[in-house]
Amino acid sequence: METLGSDEIIVERALSGDAEAFGEIVRRWERRIFALTYGLLGCEEDARDATQETFLAAFRKLRGFRGEAKVSSWLHRIAINQCISRQRRAKVRSESTLEEDDADSLATPFSHSPAHVAEGRQETVAVRRAINSLPIELRQVVVMKEFEELTFREIADALDLPLSTVKSRLYTALKQLQMRLQKFESRT
Amino acid sequence: MKETPDCERASDLITFLYNEADERERRDFQLHLNECRACRAEVASFGAVRESITAWRDEALAGFVSRPVVTNRKSALAALRQFFDLSPLWLKGATAFAVIAFCVLAAMVFVNLRSNNVQVSPAANTSQAIYTQEDVDRLVNQALAKHTTPKPPAGSSQILVDSRKPKRSRNSSANQFAKRPLSRAEREQLAADLRLLSADDDATLHLLGDRINQ
Repeated sequence: METLGSDEIIVERALSGDAEAFGEIVRRWERRIFALTYGLLGCEEDARDATQETFLAAFRKLRGFRGEAKVSSWLHRIAINQCISRQRRAKVRSESTLEEDDADSLATPFSHSPAHVAEGRQETVAVRRAINSLPIELRQVVVMKEFEELTFREIADALDLPLSTVKSRLYTALKQLQMRLQKFESRT
Repeated sequence: MKETPDCERASDLITFLYNEADERERRDFQLHLNECRACRAEVASFGAVRESITAWRDEALAGFVSRPVVTNRKSALAALRQFFDLSPLWLKGATAFAVIAFCVLAAMVFVNLRSNNVQVSPAANTSQAIYTQEDVDRLVNQALAKHTTPKPPAGSSQILVDSRKPKRSRNSSANQFAKRPLSRAEREQLAADLRLLSADDDATLHLLGDRINQ
């Protein structure tokens, strides 16, 4: 069970030269950061790379961590910046990335039952398309809420936004997703 | 299209939707939902959107397998770099000072050893390369030849033989005589002593022999 201060204590251990301490941080947060990067990038391989880059960047910036924010918020901020800079570098719109990735995901699906794949494939592809077509400031709020199940306060801390802004962005994002999914359903 | 509900309670709707409203807020919004069709429709449609997102999330994260953490697979150099990255400034300074001091000490030891070699080796080389046993013998012969040159050839050869083998002398006085030429008075005294000694010895020996026989 994680305690509130445990991440900060582990970071202190890492700062005092404990080589294993940072590995513990990675083990704790790797899956959630991957969820965030996957939600933001919409591509498994990119998400894996971005997750690793996030932890490498965190490791390099470890001395700069002053403990003013929580470790989780700090990691989320790094991950979001990694995703944004990655997308900028690629100079590819999320829609086109998804189109390429859709072919890959259909060719090599994750291990699910054939029935699930048959029923859910089109829907999940539509959701991915819809989420990745959102502006980044809306997308990151949706992903942090739905993928990582962070509270509004945690998202506000991580993004350094007022609580009301987080809620209004999430509302706007859900509204846009609803419209896009309706459009998708009407086409099929 | 307008993206906020007509009743302007978007914030409350979102808080209610994600179960982050406290008991009083939740009850209050539940009462509002009973009266507001727009909010009721949005809660339902947003719920459907959330289900779709959850399905995608579960599918996406099901394929996640933790990769080995890069920072755990460190070479010695990387570990050293990490140590320096994480260590405070004073520790970096102390380490740098220790390294410099060690280098200076090693250089001093090296220079010292080298200078000792320079002093010792020529002597060793000289003794080995210049003065062989033959050379020593030759030099001794030359020195002795200088001393014996004025003397007659027969005597000189005898003296030369004696001088070459000083270790064969049985006492140190003989060596002393061998080292310097005897004066005339000494030679006469020595000759007299030898004659006396031999005469007395012979007489003593005869007397002792007679007494033993008797």
